[in-house]
Amino acid sequence: MSSTDDIRWVTQVALFGDKNAFDKITCKYQSPIRRFFLNLTVGDGPLSDDLAQETFIKAYLNITSFKGLSGFSTWLYRIAYNVYYDSARAQKKYADINEYEIDNLYQTQNEFSAEKMDIYKALKLLRKEEQTVVLLFYMEDKTHSEIAKIMNCPLGTVKTYILKGKEKLTIYLTKAGYGN
Amino acid sequence: METNDKILKQFFSENKKEIADNGFSHRVVNHLPETVDRSWIVWIFAAIGMAISLYLLLNSTIIEQLLLVFRHISIYYILGAVFCFPLLGTAGYYLSQNKNYQII
Repeated sequence: MSSTDDIRWVTQVALFGDKNAFDKITCKYQSPIRRFFLNLTVGDGPLSDDLAQETFIKAYLNITSFKGLSGFSTWLYRIAYNVYYDSARAQKKYADINEYEIDNLYQTQNEFSAEKMDIYKALKLLRKEEQTVVLLFYMEDKTHSEIAKIMNCPLGTVKTYILKGKEKLTIYLTKAGYGN
Repeated sequence: METNDKILKQFFSENKKEIADNGFSHRVVNHLPETVDRSWIVWIFAAIGMAISLYLLLNSTIIEQLLLVFRHISIYYILGAVFCFPLLGTAGYYLSQNKNYQII
């Protein structure tokens, strides 16, 4: 499935409100978007599914604002990023506790929990922005400029976040005996 | 520096898992609200296109020239073209839909 398919489906959704075309878009992108949220929420399956659902519904409602200047995937991640930060802000408003406690509060067991414990531990060492950048760069294979578009920040800032994230993770992984 | 990059890439690729749909897409589509039908845009452009085509057709000698050309072509060529068109069209469609075809 190429980006040509994306454009075709987006056109069908934008012009005719075609839900079947949007279903194809959802099927194609559900895995990367849910994985992105699952990692950002350090393994909270139900929360990440809710956020992913909100992302797709927002994408459907605002599909006419997709100009095609960046790839559809980049545009979708931009929505996902905003949804996640809106949710994080809302949670902070109601719970005046530190992030570590929030993570523990929302961390639930799911099919990925056990095997992903290492990655969640590693991600917890990073600040939210660093987590996002590192996940987009190393796991979702986005380029620096795509990440800058997703996060709506300068390219230099993205590079700095990657560098900082890389340093912290390398120390953690080396201590954990990874890569030996 | 490169070694760090290698370690991280390896670590993240090992932890990269595809998540099965398990009805997620279906749930999303069921929660989609109704949107405004914008298909009228297509009809407006189609009508404009038709009007322009009709105007050009009536204000040019295209039809006369076509008739002139057809008068000078043998009937067998025209019949051959008529029969070949669906054949080539079907073959073209088949090849465009099945990209993993083999000639032999």
